[in-house]
Amino acid sequence: MLLLQLLINGVALGAAYALVALGFVLILNATSAVNFAQGDLVMVGGFVSVAAAGLIPVPGIVLLPLVVIFMAVFGLGFSLLAYFPLKSRPTVSVFISTIALGIVFQNGANALFGPEPRVAPPLITGGTLKLGEFIISRQSLSIIVVAAILIAAQHLMFAKTQFGRRLRATAQNRRMAQAVGIPVNWMIAATFAMAAALAGAAGLLLANQHFVSPTEGSDLIIKAYIAVVIGGWGSVPGAVVGAMLIAMFEVILSAYISYPLATGLLYATLLAILFFRPQGLFGEILQKRA
Amino acid sequence: MSRISGQAGATAARGRSLGWFGVGIRLPLTAGAVVVLAVALSGNSYDLRILTFAGVYALLVIGYQFIFGYAGALSLAQGAFFGVGAYVTGILGSQLGWPFLVTFPLSILLPAILAVVIAAPVLKLETHYFALATLGVGQVVLLLAINWESVTGGANGLPGVPGVRLLFWDVPKGLPMLTFVWALVAGGAGLAWQITRGLYGRAFEVMRENTFAAMSVGIDIAKLRFVALVMSALYAGAAGALYVHTIRIISTETLEFPIMVAVLTMAVVGGRARIAGAIVGAIILIHLPEWFRFLDEYYLIAYGLAALFMIIVAPYGLVGALERLRQRVWPEPPPVAPAPLAPPARRRAVSRDEGPLLAVRELNKAFGGIIAADNLEFDIARGDIVGLIGPNGSGKTTLVNLITGIYRADKGKILLGGKPISGLPAHKIARRGIARTFQNINLVDDMSALDNVAVASGQAEGFGFRRALTTLGPDKALKRARGVAMHFLGVLGVADEALKNCRELPYGIKRRVEIARALALGPEILILDEPAAGLNEEEQADLANRLRRLADDGLTLFVIEHNMPFLMPLAKTMICLDYGRLIAAGTPQEIAKHPGVIEAYLGPPDED
Repeated sequence: MLLLQLLINGVALGAAYALVALGFVLILNATSAVNFAQGDLVMVGGFVSVAAAGLIPVPGIVLLPLVVIFMAVFGLGFSLLAYFPLKSRPTVSVFISTIALGIVFQNGANALFGPEPRVAPPLITGGTLKLGEFIISRQSLSIIVVAAILIAAQHLMFAKTQFGRRLRATAQNRRMAQAVGIPVNWMIAATFAMAAALAGAAGLLLANQHFVSPTEGSDLIIKAYIAVVIGGWGSVPGAVVGAMLIAMFEVILSAYISYPLATGLLYATLLAILFFRPQGLFGEILQKRA
Repeated sequence: MSRISGQAGATAARGRSLGWFGVGIRLPLTAGAVVVLAVALSGNSYDLRILTFAGVYALLVIGYQFIFGYAGALSLAQGAFFGVGAYVTGILGSQLGWPFLVTFPLSILLPAILAVVIAAPVLKLETHYFALATLGVGQVVLLLAINWESVTGGANGLPGVPGVRLLFWDVPKGLPMLTFVWALVAGGAGLAWQITRGLYGRAFEVMRENTFAAMSVGIDIAKLRFVALVMSALYAGAAGALYVHTIRIISTETLEFPIMVAVLTMAVVGGRARIAGAIVGAIILIHLPEWFRFLDEYYLIAYGLAALFMIIVAPYGLVGALERLRQRVWPEPPPVAPAPLAPPARRRAVSRDEGPLLAVRELNKAFGGIIAADNLEFDIARGDIVGLIGPNGSGKTTLVNLITGIYRADKGKILLGGKPISGLPAHKIARRGIARTFQNINLVDDMSALDNVAVASGQAEGFGFRRALTTLGPDKALKRARGVAMHFLGVLGVADEALKNCRELPYGIKRRVEIARALALGPEILILDEPAAGLNEEEQADLANRLRRLADDGLTLFVIEHNMPFLMPLAKTMICLDYGRLIAAGTPQEIAKHPGVIEAYLGPPDED
């Protein structure tokens, strides 16, 4: 019984992490740069949800589109500061510029909302659901459903729409995409908008059960980073699997052993995966031609 | 980076007695010293404390430049090494009351041991996998510090860490401690500069910018990366110890991620792979928040924006910006190329007995289902010029990569002078006497042609870590290597381009610089992968003449080429590959008439 409940909570957390990791992978694939502020964008999304709920007291599911749209615009602004001035530089510059903006976001949130954790409204209602003997958190279930819909929608967009194909072309070979007339810079800006929108959704989903505080971004980015590396650098399904794996360690394993031990085991597993499969679980070995 | 080699070239050429000293870092170091001195003399105790912390970070970042700057690996373990050094001093000092002179060496040693332990699994990982693995190491150490309460004091840490005590003198807070820390920074900077100022530093540069180039000139990449990681840990340990001596309490804060982030930011803002960059970055980023204090709670927002601004306006870091500014106001005299120097007598690593120089036996290699080398067998005789032809995708470059150790064969043997070389790492094969060029040119773009070649000719000098440490005065090995490099650039007729960065050179010149680099290794056999590609007819004829002259001097040549008008008159023997198989071997005339070869290029003859 306990295991099943833990499993549902774990999948819910993993689904939220997957949204964080997906945003990270989108930018990574489009620009080959690491967005180290992805976790801070999630934090911003969480606080935007908190603020929006204070203005209009409706359930999270109604706020979600608002938060997503706001964050998409925020993501555009973010790319103008963190990426476009540096687009022809070594990618480590973007690593640093996003760190710098992350510091700005953290301290901005701190100045506006204070350092205490805040809570956003649940997606539909709080409380639990009784199915026979199971007691399941409604919020966990709704997180799983909403995240699954968002991930599926994103997958369909990439696979089936012309816009998605253009984004993929840009990610795969920017010069070639430009040569066939794709507005590459707009595609990259759109990628940032989408990554920030996903972060906003993740922020809203996480800020109910797990609260939101100004400094949570660095913890989240480390998790997203791990998820993406475990899955294979740049692999979208890999990122989802990696996120789930982390959540399982955090929720299920730490319920049976202690949290620090579970975290320690997570890193040990990570190092073992890298040792035996240096390209991650879903990654391909790329060999540069000599 | 270009500036380092350019200036060093200039100085070596001028040959002033002290010209070698502090090349490239004199100005920023002087500026840094002025700032430190000004604050030290005028500041209040708070200013002195902040500047002491800046010194601690400077030491930490100088160390980080080894792995992140010189080796070019995004290590996220520097914070962990720092924390381990801090904990060693913190625990031994506060709990056992051990003095500085005992705890300091231990604080340096333990992170280095940690680096040695993690090196084997971690260093073979590439880019972000390496970054994450090092991050993982840091997180495990942090967890250990939080949960091993009986020893580390857990999340609360341990108070009562003593100050620095040198034998019978307690170094007081304030100016004396500041002086002590900055003296160590100066020592650390001097050591880092000593290690990287000569040929050894150039080898790091090549390794960072182009791994294929590095392997082809015999640079042991794994060893350099190992040295860089351990050096970074040594510096981090020292910085960690000084840090807890200054704040007098050890806590998990020293192991947390913000320190790592600060180090990375300092290195990039100050200037990557620059010692002065580490110092300037540390001073600026430690003081930035202080300068914005008047903004009250918004000061860290201003700090973040300022860091972003510096990244955007100074692509080569603040030190790079300073040097460019200086070059504009007070330009240095244009560098002069060194005089060519005859290469040392070729060392004979290969016995001079009869039998083929290179023998390939039953060589097999498959990539998934594609067979790139199918039971290949052939010999290359000493002094021969062998041409290798075959349609696109027939496995020519794969064969070169197998011989030079970039790929490992699935089966079969390769013998050089009768001794097996298959299975050896690429850099060892290069040192044994097999030099090569690449189909897609692999030079270090931001380095002068001269230094690109000098790294290869320097192999004869046998540079390395110990050599770098013990070089006094100007690096004579580098000077000789550059002289020999000038000789080989002359052999290829491109000596006039020696001081230009390879990025600025036209394609045809780059090809010849690459050949000069291969020759500078003093090889037994030179393998050229499409040397005539992209050259006009005049350049092709010139190159063919020069190659023929090299062969006349006893060098064995193995030339891969599509261009038959170039290859046919040059080659004495030819072999032809198709689908990984050897389909023909013989004189150029025989090959030209060989039905198998014609079929491979033109398709099967028509039925009718």
